[in-house]
Amino acid sequence: MERSFKKEVELLKLGDGETFHGEGILAVTKALLQSGVAYVGGYQGAPVSHVMDVLNDARDILDDLGVHVETNANEAGAAAMLGASINYPIRGAVAFKSTVGTNVASDALSNLASAGVRGGALVVLGEDYGEGSSIIQERSHAFAMKSQMWLLDPRPNLPKIVEMVEKGFELSEASNTPVMLELRIRACHVHGTFTTKKNLGSKNSKKNPIAEPDFDFGRISLPPATYAQEKHKIEVRWPAAVAFIRKNKLNEVFAGAMSDTGIVCQGGMYNAVIRALQLLGLADAFGATRVPIYCMNVAYPMIPEETVAFCADKKRVLVVEEGQPAFIEDALQAALRRADANLTKVHGKDMLPLGGEYTGEVVLTGISRFLNRDVEINAVKKLKTRATELLGTVPARPPGFCVGCPERPVFAAMKVAEKATGAFHISADIGCHTFATLPPFNIGHTVLGYGLGLASNSAVDTMFGKRTLTIMGDGGFWHNGLTSGIANSVFNKDDGILVIMKNGYSSATGTQELPSSPQHSESKSDDMAIERALAGVGVGWVKTVDNYRVGDVAKVLKDAMSTEYKGLKVIIAEGECQLERQRKLRPVVAKQLSEGKRTIKVKYGVDEDTCTGDHSCIRLSGCPTLTIKDNPDPLRRDPVATVIDGCVGCGLCGENAHAAVLCPSFYRAEIIQNPGFFDKALNKLRNAFRGTTIHQRN
Amino acid sequence: MNLPDRPITILIAALGGEGGGVMADWLIDASAQCGFPAQSTSIPGVAQRTGATTYYLEVFPATVSQLNGRQPVFSLTASPGNVDIMVASELIEAGRAMQNGFVNPERTTLIASTHRIYATIEKMQMADGRFDSSRVVDAGRQLAKQAILFDMRKLAEDSGTVINAVLFGAMAGSGALPLTREACEQAIRGGGRGAEASLRGFTSGFDIAAGAHPTPQSPAPPKHASEIGEIMRLGIERLTDYQGAAYADLFLERMKFFQDKDKKLSSETARHLALWMAYEDIIRVADLKTRASRFERVRKEVGAKEGEPVVVIDFLKPGIEELASLLPHFLGKRLISWAQARGKLDAYNIGMHIKTSGVFGYLMVRSLAWLKPWRPHSFRYQEEQEMIEHWLARVAEAAQRSPALALEVAQCATLLKGYGETHRRGKANFLALMDALVDNPATADTVEQAGAIRKAREAALADPEGKALGGALGKPVTWLKQVGRT
Ligand code: SF4
Repeated sequence: MERSFKKEVELLKLGDGETFHGEGILAVTKALLQSGVAYVGGYQGAPVSHVMDVLNDARDILDDLGVHVETNANEAGAAAMLGASINYPIRGAVAFKSTVGTNVASDALSNLASAGVRGGALVVLGEDYGEGSSIIQERSHAFAMKSQMWLLDPRPNLPKIVEMVEKGFELSEASNTPVMLELRIRACHVHGTFTTKKNLGSKNSKKNPIAEPDFDFGRISLPPATYAQEKHKIEVRWPAAVAFIRKNKLNEVFAGAMSDTGIVCQGGMYNAVIRALQLLGLADAFGATRVPIYCMNVAYPMIPEETVAFCADKKRVLVVEEGQPAFIEDALQAALRRADANLTKVHGKDMLPLGGEYTGEVVLTGISRFLNRDVEINAVKKLKTRATELLGTVPARPPGFCVGCPERPVFAAMKVAEKATGAFHISADIGCHTFATLPPFNIGHTVLGYGLGLASNSAVDTMFGKRTLTIMGDGGFWHNGLTSGIANSVFNKDDGILVIMKNGYSSATGTQELPSSPQHSESKSDDMAIERALAGVGVGWVKTVDNYRVGDVAKVLKDAMSTEYKGLKVIIAEGECQLERQRKLRPVVAKQLSEGKRTIKVKYGVDEDTCTGDHSCIRLSGCPTLTIKDNPDPLRRDPVATVIDGCVGCGLCGENAHAAVLCPSFYRAEIIQNPGFFDKALNKLRNAFRGTTIHQRN
Repeated sequence: MNLPDRPITILIAALGGEGGGVMADWLIDASAQCGFPAQSTSIPGVAQRTGATTYYLEVFPATVSQLNGRQPVFSLTASPGNVDIMVASELIEAGRAMQNGFVNPERTTLIASTHRIYATIEKMQMADGRFDSSRVVDAGRQLAKQAILFDMRKLAEDSGTVINAVLFGAMAGSGALPLTREACEQAIRGGGRGAEASLRGFTSGFDIAAGAHPTPQSPAPPKHASEIGEIMRLGIERLTDYQGAAYADLFLERMKFFQDKDKKLSSETARHLALWMAYEDIIRVADLKTRASRFERVRKEVGAKEGEPVVVIDFLKPGIEELASLLPHFLGKRLISWAQARGKLDAYNIGMHIKTSGVFGYLMVRSLAWLKPWRPHSFRYQEEQEMIEHWLARVAEAAQRSPALALEVAQCATLLKGYGETHRRGKANFLALMDALVDNPATADTVEQAGAIRKAREAALADPEGKALGGALGKPVTWLKQVGRT
């Protein structure tokens, strides 16, 4: 795991009246324990990867409480696990990334929502929307609406988030409905404080087993039960939820002096709204506002009684709702119309952008427009124009492969292979390897979803006169790729080529364990090999390559392109995630050095006097430590390539120089630390040549 | 007491893996020490994989008792124009912050390290794709209320720590942070491991920002020769070293025509000519790789300490081209045309890992360097001299018409770069360009012609592999079509 939470998990033990200082996502975990969950699970993905990491690091504490922790195979598995709360009064929670995870989970979520729950069921959704996001931009709100699950969107401060987790379970039980809690990425990582309560044990749990299974056909998703379930949703669960939300005042009204104007916002938008009002001189630093605000900590369902009452004396209200379509704005329009409250003009997406993250700036711009105060904005606009005049456009810096990443050489090999075979179509997948679509590689034509690389290739492969290529990570393989891609491809006798990036971890999300990880924590079974799984589903052509041997990888790629073998050809590209490798290696090397043991440190380099500054090596690598510097030759102008500190000596530089016949400028240096007697003697012998006639002196 | 009416806002722009998160933790801790409410957020997602990312903090400079139960509402995103302290761990990130409006002359203290970590898009250009650093520095001085700009990475290295400690020190030293120095140092100490080194970094950053120490000057970039006298001197020196005095005389002879020509034209022609005449063949490479100075440089570059032996392994992959380049002209020519016709130019390369620091490896490579006296009889030598003469003649011809045009023709020599396939492609581009735009120009207007040459040259440099990837060798690259041949 990329980050250890061994220290932070101590916070989960806090009792009544103590103060928690820490990250939002850790606070959510604590709130789950305060709510007495019996089981937790999920699937990693920013921004809720840390939930899984924290849970795994907190196994002792959770075991004491009798809480079961499952690292689910994927989001569908996580959502399905909530089935435990259908028949039994036990609380459970799962976490995953939305909307991609919600997409995967939606089959199970539909069934869960239809059957309804006895024990509280909570889905924590990490919203990866806006700046720095790595996924498609969609709303979770739609899932809540279609399955009629309640969607909480708390104000982003820790006491409120914790309170909403606790209330979420109560709401779930009061209305027999699973509840979703959406947390935007910044809220997940917000650092704050709240006063804790002690953890609760669950009535039934690993420690107090359920006595008798409970059979109730009414909870099965088969007609006629499903018809009854839909009716129950509308007639019983919805009204119960509305009643609970009203009674417990989950939504908040902040009164203000400007009584004919108002703002309706999602809970998650509240802080941005207050800040905007503050900048416009309409609120103070503590949230006392002149413009009344209705803050929807429950984004779905809307409570018409509350919204209509809020709008009653207002001429204009602005809905601040992030994402599109504008579900809340539309619902508010409808609610007012139904209540015949036609005097309030509802604004929203006419003042604010339809899509994109609602940052402080965006909300400020929208609210100033709504309140006719554009002055603040003009100053900012001027600032930006001035900067652009002075700077032009500065180069973008998207994320990319780490130093020495084992996936980089595979893409270099693809470029080398393409020279011989001509360009081929490549179906990409989700994972660190998606970075290959960026410069310098620009490899990968489509991305269709996690683990779906091979499935997405099945039609396009038949449309070319030659073979196409598919990429899948080991994360995607275990998530669903083995069945949806590989088994299916074998079954249909497809003739594709699949490259499985076997780096050993779910690296993009923070190097979590996978079934095929090289080593496992105690709670996981080891010895689940990709190779055996492939043999098991009948793949007849499997080659394993060492990623860093670019020439060999290119050769195997070419072989796969040209072999007579008909059927799926799988190339397992092996190379351990460099982040994990270095994490393991560093202490070992440090120990060796401190003990005075002989240690070889490898670093690559470029001879500046033979480098002509054409940078073809960089176009085939993109390694952060392979960069450029001013040309030291007074006659040359273009910068030369150079390898800076931090090179882990992965060897790609030398391999590329060979495989692509780049140039002779690269060298590999082996620094012998704590040299032995033999090293020293050899060194002496070599140095004996120094200053002799055959040794060029300058 | 009058409570402050807003929090102090701090935006930190960093690259993944630079310890921006640790710095945010220090700030939160130090705020807690001072009794100030504070909040931090970040968007670690995939951006932490070497990309640009930000951390945002708000600190309310009033103690909990002063606040008397009131809770400030903190924002989770920075808003342009409203940042008090803008921190950038790298220069372009400071530029990005300014572009996004986060640096306000009335409010913002800009603290940024002036070192560069080049973005892939800058590094991968065939020529020089680097963003001009001085623009960012100038913009910073103009746009910030207070700008603290110096190479903090260097300072961090000197203090044996990471850059975040120096940045944190500079923040505290700038006076813009409402936190005491003691609280900041205490926060670092509380962080445990590496605290001593971090404190050293903190102090050095603090002292410079507070004006107790002068701002360190970055070392001047290596000098470029631009004046004709100096270029001639360097050229003679290089070519004497390359092939002896007679060869240097040839250089002088070739430059004679340009002596009284336009200054810029003569110096650039001399520069390109010297570089071209010292073309990198296998003999030259072998020579450069076996010099004592080279081994010293390698030791320095890889940071080997006194007494630590360094084994140097070179990656050579000679093939038909390299062999042919050494053969007598008629043989070499035949071999090359044979290989070209069969597309076998790259087919028989032998990849060698040569331990040049070892006795045998050294002797092997050195023995190639000893072929120097043979060079003038080799195939490559004759080919290169022919091309040089052709090019030089075209430059001279153009010089009669317009020095500006001649300069463009001269500059075309920049296309000849690299080794193996890169060199082949560069050469093909060079020849195609000379053919289409110099020998058979579509226009008689020298300004137009010069412009067309520049454009074509820049296009060829911008995306060297991309355009040629699918196409066969020597095929006109796409830009030639636009120019059209008469
Ligand atoms: S050998 Fe090259 S690719 Fe590998 S870590 Fe070093 S610089 Fe990066």
